[in-house]
Amino acid sequence: MVHTLKQEDLKQEADPSLKARKFVLWLFVVSSTIMFGGFTSYYIVFAASKGKGHGLVLPDVFMYSTAVLVLSSVCLFLGAKAVRKQNIQQQKMFLWAAVVLGLGFGYLQVDAWSALFQSGAALVNNNAAISIIYIVSGMHLLHIFGGLGIIGNSLWGAYTNVSHEKAVYRIEIASIFWHFIDILWIYLYVFLLLNS
Amino acid sequence: MAVIAMGLSILFRIQLAWPDKSFPILETFLGKWAEGGRIKPDFYLALVTIHGTIMVFFVLTAGLSGTFSNLLIPLQLGVRDMASPFMNMLSYWMFFLACIIMMSSFFIETGPASAGWTVYPPLSALPKAIPGSGLGMTLWLASMFIFVASQLMGGINYVSTVLNMRTKGMDLWKMPLTIWAFFLTAILGILSFPVLVAGVVLLIFDRSFGTSFYLSDIVMGTQVLPNEGGSPILWQHLFWFLGHPEVYIVIMPALGISSEVISVNSRKPIFGYHAMVYSLIGITILSFIVWGHHMFVTGMNPLLGGVFMITTLIIAVPSAVKTFNYLATLWRGNIRFTPAMLCAIGMVSFFISGGLTGIFLGNASLDINLHDTYFVVAHFHLVMGSAAIFGMLAGVYHWYPKMFGRMMNAKLGYLHFWVTFICAYLVFFPLHFLGLDGVPRRYYAFTEFEFMQKWVTVNIFVTWSAIVAALAQVAFLFNFFYSIFRGKKAVQNPWESNTLEWTTPVEHLHGNWPGEIPTVYRWPYDYSKPGAEEDFIPQTVPYSQTMSSNMPHDFEGNAESERIQREWDAKNAPDKADVHFH
Repeated sequence: MVHTLKQEDLKQEADPSLKARKFVLWLFVVSSTIMFGGFTSYYIVFAASKGKGHGLVLPDVFMYSTAVLVLSSVCLFLGAKAVRKQNIQQQKMFLWAAVVLGLGFGYLQVDAWSALFQSGAALVNNNAAISIIYIVSGMHLLHIFGGLGIIGNSLWGAYTNVSHEKAVYRIEIASIFWHFIDILWIYLYVFLLLNS
Repeated sequence: MAVIAMGLSILFRIQLAWPDKSFPILETFLGKWAEGGRIKPDFYLALVTIHGTIMVFFVLTAGLSGTFSNLLIPLQLGVRDMASPFMNMLSYWMFFLACIIMMSSFFIETGPASAGWTVYPPLSALPKAIPGSGLGMTLWLASMFIFVASQLMGGINYVSTVLNMRTKGMDLWKMPLTIWAFFLTAILGILSFPVLVAGVVLLIFDRSFGTSFYLSDIVMGTQVLPNEGGSPILWQHLFWFLGHPEVYIVIMPALGISSEVISVNSRKPIFGYHAMVYSLIGITILSFIVWGHHMFVTGMNPLLGGVFMITTLIIAVPSAVKTFNYLATLWRGNIRFTPAMLCAIGMVSFFISGGLTGIFLGNASLDINLHDTYFVVAHFHLVMGSAAIFGMLAGVYHWYPKMFGRMMNAKLGYLHFWVTFICAYLVFFPLHFLGLDGVPRRYYAFTEFEFMQKWVTVNIFVTWSAIVAALAQVAFLFNFFYSIFRGKKAVQNPWESNTLEWTTPVEHLHGNWPGEIPTVYRWPYDYSKPGAEEDFIPQTVPYSQTMSSNMPHDFEGNAESERIQREWDAKNAPDKADVHFH
């Protein structure tokens, strides 16, 4: 026998699930960090046992893409500020800027791959340390696409006039994730720079 | 899935026992994989691979933490639903999809993956290596990828629910040990499964794009492969960094379930509740720094091997703490031998007998002899196979009334338990001796070698025991499905248990509790408390209603409560006041 709960019963308790769901995202951040930890520790053990790293001068494009990604994070931060002040116009502007910069980052990453490829450092390579540059930046790019989706969700909210509470929740989710992949990329980039 | 995996094991046991005989019926079912009624060597490898994969991941991981976490976390913590029900649903359907993909590999030309459940490269990385390395391996990788995603979504949900959504009064130290176990298991999963994903991604690139992460210096037939510079040992590192925590992901829920079942049915508080929790935490942490003990013979630096040996042996400490606590809980308890209780005791038995051989294998020098022999097979089938399965059975028998509102037949339960318990020992115990004699695992027909010929009689015995054990599962399956419809109607709290799930009505309703969620006032193990009217006090009963049985430590130093209790004792029970409060 299944019967549904009365609405009054539910209202008595404050909804703890928003907090719990935000926590879910933090846990995802942790597990994603561990995955990239797996890649970079592969690199460390590989480099230590073979006595060589990727041995490349990374293309400059990576530097530009990093700058673009940081800028995009700044825009998202300003966008979040606008949400808290309930300034829909500014929110839209900054979030669009963040999305465009995010797409720009994706373009620059692909550009960097082609620069790598043209310099002779292809994905299919007898030095696995070079192959893994493609793998980590590729897996990171997948995260970027996910992040763009989440920002898009917040942006969609701005056009459909969701409640303030919900808008704040969405922008918080987007901020946690986007800043995370920003920092993640900086970690990966610095890691690759230091371990050439 | 468990039934399928068991069926596979019976198939290869038949091959091991009667390598020369032909069973025409096999050809009817398996077609060209058993031409002339004899299982082919390639298919034998596929059988052991898929048996291992299904049992470890799809049965013991998903079946224990997946099902029981979803059942018990909300019910025992007083939650209406999980943190993200949507993610939970996604996790369920992705698991289903992973099952389908894994099983579909039986229906393709080249057969399922055959590189062992650890899928070591190069066998797994070169599609042309053996028939099973082809499409079967691709399906295996796809299935595991989805499976890991499903596990992560489930695990993240469990942790978030446990930390954020407990009912009023339910602080962490009032949680039943089942929840502690599920919680720590989920944390283990979150921290270790992503590493497997990293490894699998690299493996997929090696297979399909021609990179050399794990490959080097390979000649196939007369052809020299271009791949160079990689190392298959790196896969082993990444795999076992998940693989070892994985065995604790399997066993910890079983330990948690047993704690609860043993305490309830001994009518005694669990012995050493805090020690139980700390040893679970200890196991969780230690399990991340022992993976090297699977790799002692890979040419590892002996010093590093020594480090892994020490960490491995240290894990015996929390495990032993748990074992002794179980025994101490049983000691002079008022034991009720329900089927669930028998299975929980069986779980402790297997945990001891399988755990002891772990100490042999954990020694880097002894492992040189024992590595990849049947000794290892015997060890893990007892300690994580049988023990975890019995933990799972204990859970099913114990919470069946909660799941279906009816009781399972106890007599069939006893029959099932005793036959399974005895046969499991008859199957796995003799394998130790094969291993000590140097019989390697995963061999198709090792009794064809002269020095191992003598083991063929033991193989026949083991196979018959396995068949009897499999038949005993029919009793369980019949009991399970028959009782859903025809079982005796359950009362609300059939085992007279303290935990919150038994305060919900027998019939299911969305949101678990009609009206308000109950508040928790005490820990879950107040069984047979001196001075209490009954031999159990549910967690929802406040101390003000049990003045005759309260102890000084119940108040955790709250001076006001102690004063009230002292006054009550002075008036109603002068003897007790003397004993406890002066």
